[in-house]
Amino acid sequence: MLFLAIRHLLSRKKQTVLIFLGISLGTLMFTVISGMQLGMREFIEARLLSNTSHIQISARDNIIDRDEMTERFYGNQPVDWLVPPAGKREEAHIMYPQGWFDRLSNDPNVTGYSPSFTMNVIISHRESKYPSSLIGIIPTMYQQVMDLQKYVSEGRITDLSEGGNKVIIGVSMLKKLGSQIGDNILISSGLGELRPFKIVGTFSMGMEQIDDSLMFASLKDVQTLNKTPGQINGISVSLVNMERAHELASQWQLTSRDKVQSWEQANAQFLQIFDFQDYTRLAVTAAILIVAGFGIYNVLSIMISQKRKEIAILRSIGYPPKMIMELFLIQGIMLGVTGAIIGLGIGHLINMYLSTVSLGIGMGGDNTMTISYAPSIYIEGFLLAFISAILASFLPARAASKLTPLDIIRSDV
Amino acid sequence: MTIIAKNVIKEFGEPPTRVIQGIDLSIHDGEFVSISGRSGSGKSTLLYLLSTLDDPSYGHITIDGIEPQKMSVDELHRFRNQHLGFVFQFHFLLPELTALENVLLPARRDNRHYDKEDEARELFKTFGIVDKIHKLPSQLSGGEQQRVAIARALIMRPKYLFADEPTGSLDSKNGQIVMDILKRCNSEWGTTLVLVTHEAEYAAMAQREVFLIDGRVTENHTTS
Repeated sequence: MLFLAIRHLLSRKKQTVLIFLGISLGTLMFTVISGMQLGMREFIEARLLSNTSHIQISARDNIIDRDEMTERFYGNQPVDWLVPPAGKREEAHIMYPQGWFDRLSNDPNVTGYSPSFTMNVIISHRESKYPSSLIGIIPTMYQQVMDLQKYVSEGRITDLSEGGNKVIIGVSMLKKLGSQIGDNILISSGLGELRPFKIVGTFSMGMEQIDDSLMFASLKDVQTLNKTPGQINGISVSLVNMERAHELASQWQLTSRDKVQSWEQANAQFLQIFDFQDYTRLAVTAAILIVAGFGIYNVLSIMISQKRKEIAILRSIGYPPKMIMELFLIQGIMLGVTGAIIGLGIGHLINMYLSTVSLGIGMGGDNTMTISYAPSIYIEGFLLAFISAILASFLPARAASKLTPLDIIRSDV
Repeated sequence: MTIIAKNVIKEFGEPPTRVIQGIDLSIHDGEFVSISGRSGSGKSTLLYLLSTLDDPSYGHITIDGIEPQKMSVDELHRFRNQHLGFVFQFHFLLPELTALENVLLPARRDNRHYDKEDEARELFKTFGIVDKIHKLPSQLSGGEQQRVAIARALIMRPKYLFADEPTGSLDSKNGQIVMDILKRCNSEWGTTLVLVTHEAEYAAMAQREVFLIDGRVTENHTTS
């Protein structure tokens, strides 16, 4: 029936081309929109992961509980507190870090981990004071978890290894402070003591709020500044497969009082935007393909009403209903498949072009749009076109197969 | 072997109107039978019943001992493809196919069109339209279109050829050419020919004439 299907399509060139263009345009739009949106997603995920590990273990704040205090001091007696006890019990820190280190060292899913101590500090420089977050790290371990060196624009992350009160700060902060590499800044933990730290490098992660407020120093220096030697309040973990982060984090959480969060949980609100984007992308594409589908439906329906005599003769010379149905289904599928292939191909070329266009805005990297070429885009695009073509051609094809030769001969002669 | 119709009744509509009213008829192998009668006498309906295109409301029709009504849809269509040929008043050629492709259409059903191509060319030669082989139907005259339609009906070498007013839309010259071809099919190849016509001259060319009035056979006699 392929031969006849091709002849039918070729005999109505204009209609065929229009439908073909409709399907091509639908899949083209899907490829381009998906490439851009997923590219943006990859870009943002990469940025998020530049300062978020696959799994982050952090100390849970130990909040004073009124009922617990009542029971501890007064047993079961009813107590009416004038001012109920509240607030943090102590500085949050991971109680048994060694337990975590042993566990993570032996877990085959883990490629690396890095203990850290993060604290809020005040930077004093000249007459100005700025709030900031200071992260104490062991550079070699941190580098295994997050490739910080990639974002270091000046200096080297290993410069922090030897300690000696050195910091690497974000480029925006350096600019704000009006400082230069080699300058000393005064950092206070908020407990009153000011310690001088030397700027030995800068980083740029392409996200203003990070480049403007984050600093890295050696773990020991930060612990000393906070007067909590040996304490850590975070462990960053990298995994063999980041897709398993949520599953493993949930598993680990079951056996620990520390807070265990996957990178998705840590950025849940942000990632919800992507879900919304996905719905929008599918809705736009579905709308285009529905229009193209109606096109196929209309063309085939008109073709069938015009070819009733031919259907009659085909039935009388021995073509059964299923072959008649096949004849029109093949036409719909051919339009869907060829339209999809051409649409995907042109969409791919457009994406290749878009990935070279400079945006002229500060996005980090090479300042061009990140386009995704994930195979799933092409597979989904093809299936959307293919399925809509089958659905659109099924009804007319079935109607054609139900025509009997006699009804047509009697009505037309 | 024959086509046998026993007490065949055909009703249409609600309340039912009987168009064929209890016909008994036998058509033998190699016979040329014409069915004629006035307009509305049921001659075309009878042809469609005899040729499996329609089912009787009552009674039985057998072809070579087989009852088409009892065949599955696929079996019936294969049977039509291999044993029956049809020529209608309108040629019903597919406009996007050339004359040769149209003739090979029945053979294409089972991918036998390559085997049948020489035979098709021979038919074109026999019917005097060999120069039209690659023409589209729209490039052919009415007589030529009907000759192509006959070639299509004969390409599978059917045992039975059913012709429903094949000359109805042709002028007398082309009508005569078509009738000569049909007669040759019957006399030279032994194809059983059942012809519906309202033209007495063509009906008289048959070996046996069946005449219908109001769905009943009023005459059934061999010609001299």
